[in-house]
Amino acid sequence: MTLLMLFIKQAILAAIPAVGFAMLFHVPAKYLKFCAILGAFGYVCRSALLQLQLQMPIEWASLVAAMLIGLIAVYWSRKHLIPRPVMTVAAVIPMVPGSFAFKTILSLLALYNHGFDNQLLAEVLENGLKTLFILGALSFGLAVPSIIIYRNRPIV
Amino acid sequence: MDVSPLSAPNEPSLSRDLQNQLCRLVARVAQTLMQHGAETKLIEETSIRLGTCLGLEQVDMAITANAIVITGRVSGRCVTTTRRVYDRGLNMQMVCEVQRLTIMAEKHLLDAAQVEQRLNNLVPLKYPRWVIVVMVGLSCASFAAQFGGSLPVCLNTFVASSCAMAFRQSMGKRHHSPMVNFCLTAFVATMIAGVATTFHLGRHPEIAQAASVLLLIPGFPLINAVSDLVKGHINMGIARWFFASLLTLSAAVGVSFAMWLGHLWGLW
Repeated sequence: MTLLMLFIKQAILAAIPAVGFAMLFHVPAKYLKFCAILGAFGYVCRSALLQLQLQMPIEWASLVAAMLIGLIAVYWSRKHLIPRPVMTVAAVIPMVPGSFAFKTILSLLALYNHGFDNQLLAEVLENGLKTLFILGALSFGLAVPSIIIYRNRPIV
Repeated sequence: MDVSPLSAPNEPSLSRDLQNQLCRLVARVAQTLMQHGAETKLIEETSIRLGTCLGLEQVDMAITANAIVITGRVSGRCVTTTRRVYDRGLNMQMVCEVQRLTIMAEKHLLDAAQVEQRLNNLVPLKYPRWVIVVMVGLSCASFAAQFGGSLPVCLNTFVASSCAMAFRQSMGKRHHSPMVNFCLTAFVATMIAGVATTFHLGRHPEIAQAASVLLLIPGFPLINAVSDLVKGHINMGIARWFFASLLTLSAAVGVSFAMWLGHLWGLW
């Protein structure tokens, strides 16, 4: 039950940034709901993969979540005749590893200001690599339907 | 009855004049898509589909980071045209509309003259400024909540990122370089969020600083970059990836300057 409450809370907290960033990208108002649904779905899906007994690494969980978002978006984009990035890009924004990126920059600055230190270097590398891998997984995951299923034909 | 030469798109062989006009139309469609942030494959695909369904035999295009070259061929006769592309800011509504025009032309619902006319009448959608400010503020506040921030921290993030977003919009309106814009916006966000750290508002006040600069995530350039790379447009992918990295770097410079100033003034 607590897990369900957690997922509901996460879904709401993921839908808000998805809609906010969709508005920043000037997605038409009637498609904002798709961004919200996909954003919430992707985030909850990823955290379920992270938490339930699977213990999947965060990069792989992000890849799966982004792939699912991309696949669902294929259906909606064919139905409403809109390009997929209209929905998918805003939907993965809640999963972007912002805190890892911020930590990387902070430890990089500390490394520069206070001189070389193994602990700091380790933090830079760990957080930086995590940021890169998660970002790569998210954006590759979105491209999967058009690379694997719709190989030489347009989706819409 | 419309007597414009564009109204007869399905003639077997096109006049030179008509071929020129079609190439111009296709170039404009590609330019519009690129200016509003479509990925390279979508630009290429949409332009080629529009050109071929309106009567060009073959359409080929070369896309570089800030210009496009289009050749339309009709029975061995080529017309080539180049367009410089200026960034007009992301606008997905424009991308949707242009793609819809292409699909309608493909289903013979529109001829070239009508496509051109509709293209002229397209107005980029703009949400009211304050709506975006509030929504982006809320977005960053939810990021702060996701990172485990308490209510005061989220409120602080909301204030900091709303102010930063308003600042970013006014810089954008004055056509400043995106690098300068990102740097100064990150500075503003970090400085305002730093107040939380000073007064020890809530648990983990440093979350506010991390969350309030997240309005600067270059999401579209990054995702377009990877999808260009994996779909074979390596040069465009590298250009976009580099642009996104530059934007992130500028934001990092703004953050580091704010941090230094905060230490200097004993704020945190």
